Amino acid sequence: MSKAFGSLSRRSLLTMMGAAPAAVAISQLLPAKALAAGALNIYSWPDYFSNDDLAAYAKKSGVTPNIATYNDNGALFSKLNSPAGAGFDIVIPSSGWIKQLADKNLLLELDHAKIDFSALDQSLLNRDYDPGNKYSIPKDWGLLGVVYDPDAVGGEIKTWQDFFDAGAKPNVSGKVRLTKDAGETVGPALWIAGKDWNTASADDIRGTKDFLKGFARHVKTFSGFDPAAMANGSIVLAQANQAAARGAIQQNPKLKWVVPGPHSEIWVDSYSIAAQAENVDQAYDFLNFFLSPDIQVKETEYLGYPAAIAGLQGKLSADTKNADLIFGGPGVDFSTLTSFIVNPDTIDVYQEVQNEVQAAAGA
Amino acid sequence: MAKISPTSTASPAGRHRAAGRALDHLFAALPALWLLGVFIIPLGFTVVFSFGRSSFGGIKLDFTLDNYAQALSGFYLDSFLRTIQFALSGCILCLLVAYPAALFIARQQGARRTALLVLVLVPYFTSFLIRVMSWQILLARGGPIEWLLNVTHLMPGPLDVLDTQTAVFIGLVYAYLPIAVVPIYIVLIRIPAGLIEASRDLGASAWQSFWHVTLPMSRPGLATAALLTGVPMLGELVIPALLGGDKGVLMGMAISQQYLATQKYALGSAMAVLVLLAVAVMVAVLVRLTRGFEEVSA
Repeated sequence: MSKAFGSLSRRSLLTMMGAAPAAVAISQLLPAKALAAGALNIYSWPDYFSNDDLAAYAKKSGVTPNIATYNDNGALFSKLNSPAGAGFDIVIPSSGWIKQLADKNLLLELDHAKIDFSALDQSLLNRDYDPGNKYSIPKDWGLLGVVYDPDAVGGEIKTWQDFFDAGAKPNVSGKVRLTKDAGETVGPALWIAGKDWNTASADDIRGTKDFLKGFARHVKTFSGFDPAAMANGSIVLAQANQAAARGAIQQNPKLKWVVPGPHSEIWVDSYSIAAQAENVDQAYDFLNFFLSPDIQVKETEYLGYPAAIAGLQGKLSADTKNADLIFGGPGVDFSTLTSFIVNPDTIDVYQEVQNEVQAAAGA
Repeated sequence: MAKISPTSTASPAGRHRAAGRALDHLFAALPALWLLGVFIIPLGFTVVFSFGRSSFGGIKLDFTLDNYAQALSGFYLDSFLRTIQFALSGCILCLLVAYPAALFIARQQGARRTALLVLVLVPYFTSFLIRVMSWQILLARGGPIEWLLNVTHLMPGPLDVLDTQTAVFIGLVYAYLPIAVVPIYIVLIRIPAGLIEASRDLGASAWQSFWHVTLPMSRPGLATAALLTGVPMLGELVIPALLGGDKGVLMGMAISQQYLATQKYALGSAMAVLVLLAVAVMVAVLVRLTRGFEEVSA
């Protein structure tokens, strides 16, 4: 099995997985408990584990994990927060949603005696969204940055102000991509104004609205980052994470990537165990297998996102293209990066701004 | 069954018929139960939630109209009206393309007619997502449509239609065309040829005969097509995301955000109920438009 899959590219696997939604839909009609006994049920982002490593785990443990997928932290939260969420063992929330999931008692407090944290990058532990890693173990991480065509933009981008100024230039306007994530749209405007996106008041957040709505007319799309659009020049300036940027730069090497100042985002997708998990021991076994350094290296090469072990960069195979970009590229000041934490008091204000910006772009 | 004469249920034929009726009821009960379980009950929850109060990821049952007040003011009212306008435009465009296509197919004979109908229907059996995503490739810069426009000198230079309203409507008409063509086609082939002949014998031109006979008699097909396309368009969120760059906020997207991004189920439910009311109005208008058709067809 592993050999057969080994010769396939990720893309062809994705094509093969075209039938997956139907399978997921059918499996969701079955009671989750029927799947649970002596098994492991994972609720994850799509295509977030290499098939080779999953097969290796199945061979070692005799348990083939059942994987259902979501593509939105809100969907993960809604599902775990409903009767349909019963039966999942391992879930993979992003840093911003861990506190909310934990506050709703949807995550199990981790037994640190059962997990080996020693190989992990200490800078990814004990962060503000989960002090003491009570509920989460870092899986991999990413940065919010900008990928751009320096010829079209006509200069270097160093700050978010540079980003917005560049987007308004005549030959760049209409070829800009912003994300659909409210935090990632509003955050840069708050940072320019010297504010922290986790402590900003509703007024602070609404204060960015006019500026961002004014910028909206330059935006071509809020949809998923498309490397092909950057290769053919229909987009020349885009918000993106480092793995997406690396993919685009591999198609078009003249593109540049930067994590603008004064602040930007670091998100950490994390393993957690669902509060209602029925296969807790199996879940710890799976986590320890996937946290082992060998597997973390393989997962990094497969995903393009850096796993959480210390000293990972030196361990990647020599033929990994643009390996430094996986880690955000040279010159990133990690002390300036911050993780968004969903706050029930302000998340709807963020979304209100995002909605109005997207509506203004379509007007 | 139709030949069995009405007799008492004591006779063998009567028992046979009673058993047949029980089976009919069973067959009818299955979809009814399905409808109850996956539509009526969840809809009931949605209506109840729409009068409740939201907390993050929770709901407190109550009887407040605040959610409706919020959904019907400011930005969300604009989105609601824009969504209705969007669905009406998409629906009308779809009918304008579907009607001539259905008329053309209905006027063919035998194998040719079947072949054309199959051609219209085959894409519908492909995944909706794949059909829409294929337009991303067709409409992209350097893509096949740009090439075609360039070599035919219809348009020089790069094609920048992706991520615009035009692309959204192209995708919309394409995706919903088969379900608009079929109901129109079905009423068209049922119009007795004798009626058209009679109108021509009485001196109507081809155009007059179409306008006074064919078009009025195809009203039920048009109404069905409008319903089958307009209703899903009111909740459409995939095509604007894939072909429109997610610019402009329609109700489908606004509702999904209330349920996912902001975890405000009460407001999301009120918005969903409003969309449902818009659907009900649409159905009522279409029923009214086709009223009296039975007499015409008889």
